[in-house]
Amino acid sequence: MSEPPSADVLYLPRWRPRGSRPGAHRGRDAGGLGTFRDQVPFLSLPDARRIDLRATLRDPFEGVHVRRFEARVPVEIWALVDLSASMRYRGAGDRMALAGELCAGLAASATRIGDGFGLIGCDAAIRADLTLMATRHRSAALAMAGKLSGARCAAGSPEGLLEAARLLFGRPRLVFLVSDFRWPPDLTRRVFESLALHDVVPVILADSAEDEGLPEWGLAELDDLEGAGRRLVFLRPSLRRRWIARERERREALTAAAAASGARRPFALVDRFDAQALSRHLLAN
Amino acid sequence: MSKHLALFGFALPLALWLLPLALLPLVATGRRRHAVPAVAAAPPDALARWIGATLTLAGVAAIAGLVLGLAEPYRVGERVTRIGIGAQVSMLIDRSGSMNETFAGRQPSGAEESKAAASRRLLAGFVGEREHDLFAVTAFSTAPMLVLPMTDRHEAVRAAIAAIDRPGLDYTNVARGLAMALSQFGTDSGISRALLFISDGAAVIDPRVQDQLRADFAKIRPNLYWLFLRTKGSPSIQDRPEGEDTPQAAPERHLDLFFRSLGIPYRAFEAEGPQAVADAIARIEALERDPIPYTEVRPRRDLTGWAYGLAALGLAVLVLAALAEADMSARRRVERPAEDAPLRRAA
Repeated sequence: MSEPPSADVLYLPRWRPRGSRPGAHRGRDAGGLGTFRDQVPFLSLPDARRIDLRATLRDPFEGVHVRRFEARVPVEIWALVDLSASMRYRGAGDRMALAGELCAGLAASATRIGDGFGLIGCDAAIRADLTLMATRHRSAALAMAGKLSGARCAAGSPEGLLEAARLLFGRPRLVFLVSDFRWPPDLTRRVFESLALHDVVPVILADSAEDEGLPEWGLAELDDLEGAGRRLVFLRPSLRRRWIARERERREALTAAAAASGARRPFALVDRFDAQALSRHLLAN
Repeated sequence: MSKHLALFGFALPLALWLLPLALLPLVATGRRRHAVPAVAAAPPDALARWIGATLTLAGVAAIAGLVLGLAEPYRVGERVTRIGIGAQVSMLIDRSGSMNETFAGRQPSGAEESKAAASRRLLAGFVGEREHDLFAVTAFSTAPMLVLPMTDRHEAVRAAIAAIDRPGLDYTNVARGLAMALSQFGTDSGISRALLFISDGAAVIDPRVQDQLRADFAKIRPNLYWLFLRTKGSPSIQDRPEGEDTPQAAPERHLDLFFRSLGIPYRAFEAEGPQAVADAIARIEALERDPIPYTEVRPRRDLTGWAYGLAALGLAVLVLAALAEADMSARRRVERPAEDAPLRRAA
């Protein structure tokens, strides 16, 4: 992305990350200059600089107390981007451009506070050309995010996401699962299960042209991007209502699938990237 | 099936090689396509399936209609035989010079009409009264003249009758006229046949020819009507001549006797004026009422218009569908600025 994102995405990891490197998030371990956490006896943490005089004087047994502070540690932000053929869709907005904007926003926000940003593009397998191991280099992260909007999307089903989940073994990470989630229900379940270790934020790339923007009346020949064939629809108010209800049901099913494996509520990115809305969503859920 | 197919033909059958093009709408469509992430997002809709099938059909019909139209289809002409009420009527009309005179035996002048003109007027009314009558017209004077063979074209018959008041020719030779009038009947059996013999005089029939005529009458067995236009003062059919009763002396009487001896239904009408002729014809008309097979000719019919009509119908349906196409992009352009506005304020 050549132009800077409009605002930073603010996020809080759900878990307390471990680590010794200084970062921006409240860690599980004590140490450093973070928020006050608790007091421990001097003997367990013999750090004379942090003796809490007030607590020491208050102790009737005359024990010496030391303040402990939370360590601030970095986390890794990963974006798993679905590159299946349906992501080629252009409605009110270009879906891949939208994914690129989102990733650029995430990359900028993450690297600005010292978090690493990684990206894995997946179609039927992991796409090596669109994969970036977590890095704190802002330019590298932004460059990779920029490559997304021009990415070629051909394959039908993003089975590669399961591989990507295996790649993210070990520590928990904040994972943005970026897709339109037009998947078979079975794949949805398996992907969420394989990412259960992580703090997963499903980001639905939606488009107003897919539901609310449908015309009231008219004939339309629909052509499936994933090769499911053509179909003629006769749009009319009743069908439009059913259509929108069906889309809503699909999102609710996705929310349920996400909740079942401990992921956050899905965030719907409609038409264009709004960093503030995403921040509000991330802080609330 | 093949019998029905044989009824149709094409003027340019080579164009039918293009007919497989009519299958194109089954695999392709001219409608604008909208790429969507998943067609499954659209709820199942029976109505749309019907519309889709109709449009495909309309496309097939449009192309097939155009190709058929190019091949110029037609329905072959045919002759259909039907049964109607009527008779075969063979008219034998005297064209001797005396027919041009009035019933009073004079040249017509002023309001008077000649015998030929009177019979023309009345016979013309007779023809065409009944739709399925077949008529043949024969004239005779010295020699018989085949005016019109047996036909159901009443226009032609009327035209032939209209011509009988042309100035008459010569003498009266009944025998050969009768022979030709008889030969006008076809060979079909079970049909009512009438021989209408109109003359104002008679002549001697050679005994040798008489035998031949007898044989012909016995074979064909027509109802014989003799409309004798009698000039005032001339002998009647029944009048016995004074003196010797020979055919030469009273040809009318002897012709009548000859007719009676034939053993076929026979009536003679002796008419002394136009009104009497009209009465006689009315009675003949009333007598001849029998079923008769008649042929109806259906000409070859061009079906190109139907083919193009089919194509036009298909195209009209397709045009309607094209007009009903939803514009999936127009709506969005309207909505977007409204969405952007509050955000700018917030920023």
